[in-house]
Amino acid sequence: MAAWLARRLATAALTLAVALTALFALMRAAPGDPLAQLTDDRPLPPEARDALRRRYGLDQPLPRQFLAFAAGALRGDLGVSIQYGRPVRDLLAERLGATLLLAGTALLVNATLGIWLGARQAFAAGSAIDAALGTLATASYALPPFVLAVLAAGLFGVRLGWFPAAGARDPLLAADTGALALVLDRLRHLALPALVLSASTLGGTMRQQRAALLDALGRPFVRAARARGLDERRVRWGHAWRASLVPVLTHFGLWLPALVTGSVFVEAVFAWPGIGELAAAATAARDYPLVMGAALLAGAGVVLGSVVAEWAARLADPRGADAP
Amino acid sequence: MDVVALMPFPMVALALLLQAPAPTTVTIAVGQEPTRPIPTLLAGQANIDVAAQLFLPLAHVGPKLVTSGDKEFEPALARRWTRRDDRTLAFDLDPRARWHDGAPVTSADVVFTLARAKDAAVSPTTAPQLAEIESVTAEGDGRVVFRFRRAYGEQLYDAIHHVSILPAHLLAALPPADVERSAFMRQPVGSGPYRWVRQVPGELTELAAVPDFFLGRPGVERVIFRLAADPEARLNLLLSGAVDALDNVIPPLANLERVRAQPGLRVVAAPTTTLGFMLMNQQARGRGAPHPVLGDLRVRQALIRALDRETMVRAALGDFAKVPYGPVSQLLWIDDPSERPPPPDTALARRLLAEAGYRDADGDGVLERNGQPLRLGLMVPAPSALRRQLALVAQAQWRAVGVQADIEIAEVATYLDRRRRGDFDLDFSATTQDPTPSTLLQSWTCAGVGANNVASYCAPQVDSLLAAARFGRGDTRRAWRAVVRRIEADAPAVFLFATANASVLSRRLGDAALRPDSWWRDLYRWRVRPDGR
Repeated sequence: MAAWLARRLATAALTLAVALTALFALMRAAPGDPLAQLTDDRPLPPEARDALRRRYGLDQPLPRQFLAFAAGALRGDLGVSIQYGRPVRDLLAERLGATLLLAGTALLVNATLGIWLGARQAFAAGSAIDAALGTLATASYALPPFVLAVLAAGLFGVRLGWFPAAGARDPLLAADTGALALVLDRLRHLALPALVLSASTLGGTMRQQRAALLDALGRPFVRAARARGLDERRVRWGHAWRASLVPVLTHFGLWLPALVTGSVFVEAVFAWPGIGELAAAATAARDYPLVMGAALLAGAGVVLGSVVAEWAARLADPRGADAP
Repeated sequence: MDVVALMPFPMVALALLLQAPAPTTVTIAVGQEPTRPIPTLLAGQANIDVAAQLFLPLAHVGPKLVTSGDKEFEPALARRWTRRDDRTLAFDLDPRARWHDGAPVTSADVVFTLARAKDAAVSPTTAPQLAEIESVTAEGDGRVVFRFRRAYGEQLYDAIHHVSILPAHLLAALPPADVERSAFMRQPVGSGPYRWVRQVPGELTELAAVPDFFLGRPGVERVIFRLAADPEARLNLLLSGAVDALDNVIPPLANLERVRAQPGLRVVAAPTTTLGFMLMNQQARGRGAPHPVLGDLRVRQALIRALDRETMVRAALGDFAKVPYGPVSQLLWIDDPSERPPPPDTALARRLLAEAGYRDADGDGVLERNGQPLRLGLMVPAPSALRRQLALVAQAQWRAVGVQADIEIAEVATYLDRRRRGDFDLDFSATTQDPTPSTLLQSWTCAGVGANNVASYCAPQVDSLLAAARFGRGDTRRAWRAVVRRIEADAPAVFLFATANASVLSRRLGDAALRPDSWWRDLYRWRVRPDGR
């Protein structure tokens, strides 16, 4: 297992390095000047422009800029954001908690409700329940999250006033507010964005789980288990469902980092202070250090997620353990 | 009656009395996070808004926003100013002015700030605006003397408007390059009506009133700038009662109806210095030669007269905008409402295009000359829904006179890049002007070509008129109007809209007013109604 893990981590690091190199090249090839938005696109005297370019290392040749980024990243220094004038590492750390809370909640909903509903569909394949849940999954899959977000914010946040329409906390809470009240306040603000993000991703999980479980239910070992007279509940959940987890875990492993950076629309509509919106704004402003930092975080999440997913899959189905 | 049983009641009442009441708070929705709310550092509306609460300039531009002469200004850190000669101004500081740490504001602070602001390496956007200031010297602790390179009408404006004063006793020992990462950056100390409390990244910036502020105790004890980058989110915060103020409800106009339906909110029309126009490139894409189509004045005039600008603007912005005469926003003091832009005239537009040699030889509805169709690209920045909407209307109206406009939507960085390189035929620009008409120098002079004058409009006569207006003596309004008329006649752009913001304030703020040049500047004068606390 240790050798496998070392091999996979080495491959993951190489993948990440290739992805970041490609992103660096693409960002610099794209039109745009990081100083334009920083200075409200005002004309600058040449000496001022030169000073700014020096300050952010933009006067260096591109290979040297990339090497500086790579060397810094290895030391844990992601440089200074051009837009914020602050260390990228600090900016990402400040936003990571909110993003993980939102994405983690959506993941939890998917990992419980999504898997359970998908399994219910597979166990009742061809029935009215399967058809109804299939329609639900398709609707969830089809509804763009930004549409759902705008509708939810307008209805539950503004019209009905059941939940805060935007934000991650009540800024008027007194400094001495108790821990319980703070948690409840955070949960109230989390409700709508988490609901929207969960609803717009649930369908994918349900379909993945249904397909994987249907495949597993038709496999010989399931028939053998039934032939041995095992309880149907144990056959379904103990054998078939466990075997179906491999593709579902892979799905989650690759999907979580995408959830982290891909919830841009939901974060925007609910003014949720996460990394997705920060990264999108940084890209629009050509804030190269911040874009690279966010990409490093997301990329590391993707490759580590896939490693963890493979590891979990090996635990769920040890038959693949000897595969290279 | 059991006296012992009643004892808790007065105790509870006493506890309630002793409990500090919640501070009166105003929450303002903003679209950008203040990242450097420090004068002399880089600009951006969010930084300017917060810095206006923390730091004071020597004086403010007065309510009429007249930037010429020495009279139409309001004291701030300086209680008065005197003119020694046509190149020298002396400011007497208000002895009551204090930094938030208790130290007095002195002439050393002013000298230090202006030195930093005039250094292009430290303050790249401010330094060019202070180019006419030759020197700033202290006379004792309470007086500073500004010496200018030459005589001109906007000396006082240049001295007070571009930079607020920083505390030398906290910053002088810090190398300029270190300010961004200093403790001062995280906890700025100013001299304004509010002091810095905290910033929650991505969420809010909180300020607290300075009770003994020397220009008057602020009526609002706490101000929270609440961040919501998405306009829909800002509107939802407002409609749900989570914020008290929003600087502008963006189109569509249906958004405004949603606000007006809320009895607790008040819509205030606040004229702005924002101007929208379609620049017509005078040079061919890639530069070097006159534009093959737009180099012809008749074509430019035809494009203007083919559009029903009044109807377009009214449909998109209602009463919150007007069609400007020349590059003059509603707030610029040289604006003359009696001068109106020419009305639409499609017959004239067709005639002008015919005179320029355009015919529809193949009957496809698009004019041609020398076999080349009259086809132009109209570049629009992607985030601006308003400009995308207006571009579609313009496209249809131009089509009616035989001009094909291809709308080119570009994301912001690409848009700015193409703009700077002059890689466009028509550029749907919007700009927020400074309150001074000298702002015209940047975009409409030969000297601006290669910088802000991205459409390469160059008319020596305009340059001469501008110089005469800027460096003229006495009332220069007529000289400035001559500049505007000349630009309007040259038709370098379709001047489309000069906007007012549809600002919204909670009714709990009574009749609080917005400053047109700096929305929240007079916030310390606001009062929360007793029934709205």
